[in-house]
Amino acid sequence: MKQISKIKWHHYINYIVIAILTVVFAFMSFGGMLDSSTLYMLEKMAIAVMLAVSLSVVVGFLGELSLGHAGFMCVGAYLGGKISCLLEPFFDNGMVTLLISIIIGGIAAAACGIIIGLPALRLKGDYLAIVTLAFGEIVRSLFMNSSSESFGGSLGLNTPRYDKNSLFIIALLLVLVCLAVLQNIIRSKHGRAITSIRDNEIASRATGINVTKYKLAVFSISAFFAGIAGVLYSFSNYTVQSTKFSYNYSIEILVMVVLGGMGSINGSIIAATLITYLDITLQTKLTGNLAVLQDLLYSLILIVLVIYNNAPALKGFREKYNLKNTLNGIFKRRNDPARHTDDEAKWDRVPTKIKVDEVLSVEIKTTQSTVDPDRKEKE
Amino acid sequence: MKILRISAIVLAIVLCLSMFAGCGTKADYTSENKEYIIGFSGPLTGPAAVYGTAVKNAAQMAVDEINAAGGLNGINFKLVATDDTHDPTKVSTNYSSMLEAGMQVSLGTVTTAPGLEFTNLSVEDNVFFLTPSASGDDIPKYENGFQMCFADGNQGAVAADYVNENFAGQTIGIFYKSDDAYSKGIFEQFKENLDSSIKTVETVFTDTNDKDFTTQISTLKDCKFIFMPIYYTPASVFMTQAKDQIAADAIYYGCDGFDGIDSAEGFDISTIPQEVTMLSHFNSKSDDDKTVKFVSKYTEKFGTDTLNQFGASAYDCIYAIVDAMKAAIDAGKKIPVTISASDLCDILKDQFTDGFTFDGVTGEGIKWQDNGYVDKGAVKYVIKEANK
Amino acid sequence: MEIIETLINGLSVGSTYAMIALGYTMVYGIAKMLNFAHGDIIMVGGYMIYLTMVATGNALLGLLAAIVFCVVLGISIEKIAYRPLRGASPLAVLITAIGVSYLLQSVAQMIFGTAPKMVNIANLGNLQMGSLKVPYYTVVTLGCSFVLMVGLTVFVKYTKTGRAMIAVSEDRGAAQLMGIHVNRIIMITFAIGSALAAFAGFFMLMKSPSLSNTLGAMPGIKAFTAAVIGGIGSIPGAMTGGLLIGVVEAISFKIPIIAPYTDAIEFLILIIILLVRPSGILGKVRREKV
Repeated sequence: MKQISKIKWHHYINYIVIAILTVVFAFMSFGGMLDSSTLYMLEKMAIAVMLAVSLSVVVGFLGELSLGHAGFMCVGAYLGGKISCLLEPFFDNGMVTLLISIIIGGIAAAACGIIIGLPALRLKGDYLAIVTLAFGEIVRSLFMNSSSESFGGSLGLNTPRYDKNSLFIIALLLVLVCLAVLQNIIRSKHGRAITSIRDNEIASRATGINVTKYKLAVFSISAFFAGIAGVLYSFSNYTVQSTKFSYNYSIEILVMVVLGGMGSINGSIIAATLITYLDITLQTKLTGNLAVLQDLLYSLILIVLVIYNNAPALKGFREKYNLKNTLNGIFKRRNDPARHTDDEAKWDRVPTKIKVDEVLSVEIKTTQSTVDPDRKEKE
Repeated sequence: MKILRISAIVLAIVLCLSMFAGCGTKADYTSENKEYIIGFSGPLTGPAAVYGTAVKNAAQMAVDEINAAGGLNGINFKLVATDDTHDPTKVSTNYSSMLEAGMQVSLGTVTTAPGLEFTNLSVEDNVFFLTPSASGDDIPKYENGFQMCFADGNQGAVAADYVNENFAGQTIGIFYKSDDAYSKGIFEQFKENLDSSIKTVETVFTDTNDKDFTTQISTLKDCKFIFMPIYYTPASVFMTQAKDQIAADAIYYGCDGFDGIDSAEGFDISTIPQEVTMLSHFNSKSDDDKTVKFVSKYTEKFGTDTLNQFGASAYDCIYAIVDAMKAAIDAGKKIPVTISASDLCDILKDQFTDGFTFDGVTGEGIKWQDNGYVDKGAVKYVIKEANK
Repeated sequence: MEIIETLINGLSVGSTYAMIALGYTMVYGIAKMLNFAHGDIIMVGGYMIYLTMVATGNALLGLLAAIVFCVVLGISIEKIAYRPLRGASPLAVLITAIGVSYLLQSVAQMIFGTAPKMVNIANLGNLQMGSLKVPYYTVVTLGCSFVLMVGLTVFVKYTKTGRAMIAVSEDRGAAQLMGIHVNRIIMITFAIGSALAAFAGFFMLMKSPSLSNTLGAMPGIKAFTAAVIGGIGSIPGAMTGGLLIGVVEAISFKIPIIAPYTDAIEFLILIIILLVRPSGILGKVRREKV
């Protein structure tokens, strides 16, 4: 009993909720109580959650903006889809095919993640965002113009559809795996290193953190899960067409992450589920020029949320009326080690995060700007 | 605090479940139908909206006419239209929502890219569809799919025959969209059927480069015949920009995507010096009885903005399906109003592959091959003659 | 012959990119933010020209209306969306800019629909040089972007406001201490950038009449590529980069095998330039300060 009460339930709440839902829906599905549109929606939700959570690690924890997440998904969808086409004659359209495709699709995407992580070592901020965007478009263009024998070209790749009564269960289980991997990384010392890179790269480099290693690792892990989401996408549709993976889709994923609150995995999960649900239900409800209302609303929410959460002038206001404080009672984010340590030494009140903006308000300037630009290379 | 947390979790789960509540499944969606339900998915909004709107208008017009005439043995028809904005990823949702609304027979999709997804979805449930305008070669690849329009391959081949006859030994230009299934499909077939004596100058554009055609025009500027298997919007931009760059006696030759170019908003085709021609199965200026009736009725109801072969084709599709159902009933088959999509599909499939002929706006004596392709005559329709 | 023709086409395409890139480089150089919505301001300018032309039929009046409207729009966007975030993380600013870009696109779609509008500004005809046929709009666009480039350079180098802009871009804090009204300078920068966007919209429509709500999205990203290649913050650099991208695009479209990959090639050049020489061709090397 004592053991049980020691478990930090709030760390596992998302696993528990998703697992319960998976079991419930699995029973409903086998009982024949679910429509095909509901099954499809569940698959879409699982894919969206996986994409949002994996992007959240890059944007929310590493602090770099990636606009090429759809590109990683594209790699996974095409390669996974192709592998499943090739394997289908041997293993049928079953679990073996699915698993092999998922592994290969994920690894291929992760390799791309490393490739895109390399520029990230030299670039940051706006430049990196544009490079990731460029990467996504290049990947899409390559698949788009492939020959019809290899990846189907502009007609798209025909992929086998996995049994829809069970694909969503596999997808939700993969979400659990994804969560387990990413959350464990974030809650470990590696996670603290990653957040410290976000807060101040130079300072964390000075404390001996291997920034190169962490950046590459985060990009490739995030790409890995985006690739898996892509493979799932190819299994949940009959055709993979490259138009889907334009940078608009990357931005849609980004909206989920921002809406859920950057640096909050649970937030990303909720936002991804909600947005997918709205997308699908509104698609058949809102027709004509009303359909654009949805985009309008998303962009407004994006602007308002970002300004509200980041504007220096609103800081006092934020601290006074904080939604997080209210929610903390439920999710206890205060104790998330990604933000604060929670080890036994009662360090609750000592933040590992240096509040950079406060320190910088003193404007410490070094004389570095006069140093000759080539010196960095010599060092 | 703990109670609050637990209750919050419970609440969240209940909320999530309630999102899906009410979608308890019925094995047979059509068992409560009061009328035959025909569904389709098309671009009712977005850049290709003019095609989807034309199909929706004309199909609705046909359904209203049939209902006004007493339906099929007293049973009315109902049209369910869903919007896919020419985006393949939206088709799955549209398809299941239509199926759950009791759809028994379908017009498939309006455009090719979403149609490729629709083809696979519909074969799973064995839903019959006769598409008015999704012209991809793969659209009718399963037994349940049929086309009212020419397949891309056929369009390319027919256009190539025309060029082989009239431009032997000359150099012609080809202008197509490299990232569009429709455009590339026609282009490949065209190229394959082209006589080796004909030289070609090819140039492409892509989705992100569809505004400025400076380079493309300069590549094609010496051609007297330009084959353009593209949709009319980029075509009209190309023509406006190329007005004085390309010889005034050149011919622009397009396929069914050109349809509607003469009524495009803000584009005055009479200012284009070159000849604009298209390969079509429908000529709105024809004096054929059926065509005149259709055109006058359509323009009266919806104006000329969306009057094009997509609409005419959809109008024919509805009548063809109803005629086939009538013929099946006459042949002793039973088609109750609650018939399942799959049963109806088997009946219609047999009808369509078993010598069923249909006379409509887009042709006389239309027949279907076993592979779902349509068998009818094509017209070379000169939209605008060259300025002399 | 063919080569000269391709080069001229490249310059024609590139001059539009150059004009957009000028706006990007001004804003990025001084406000230190990637204004993702720049391309969509072009689109808004395009719709202003369209509306004025429907009302009066005069294209130059349309350009004037577009400039006024875009300047007002640019200043309001800066004031409402970007100014509150001054001092916040660059990530937040970038995401807001993306939000603004989508907001403008969806508002335009709501008002005007997605069907493209045709705006026939003027048909200037061709300039015949021997056997070469050069459309006049190429000459006009190229000339105008050159004039704008020179004008901007002079403005930045020799006027008080211009020098204040350089000061703000060098060190915002120090500039403030020297009595420069930083917010006002950034506002002026946005006004100039938006006016340039209106110009770009005008010339884009002159070339090709099709106007839709995504008019500026892709050219905007490509022009940013151009600005980066030329060296962000450098006005002649933006011009060089724009023309370079245009020529690359023209050459690539000329070769049938690689034509479909044109976008990919342009982006690849961007990635390589950023990796090899992040400061671009004409840009200054900057040190990162702690």
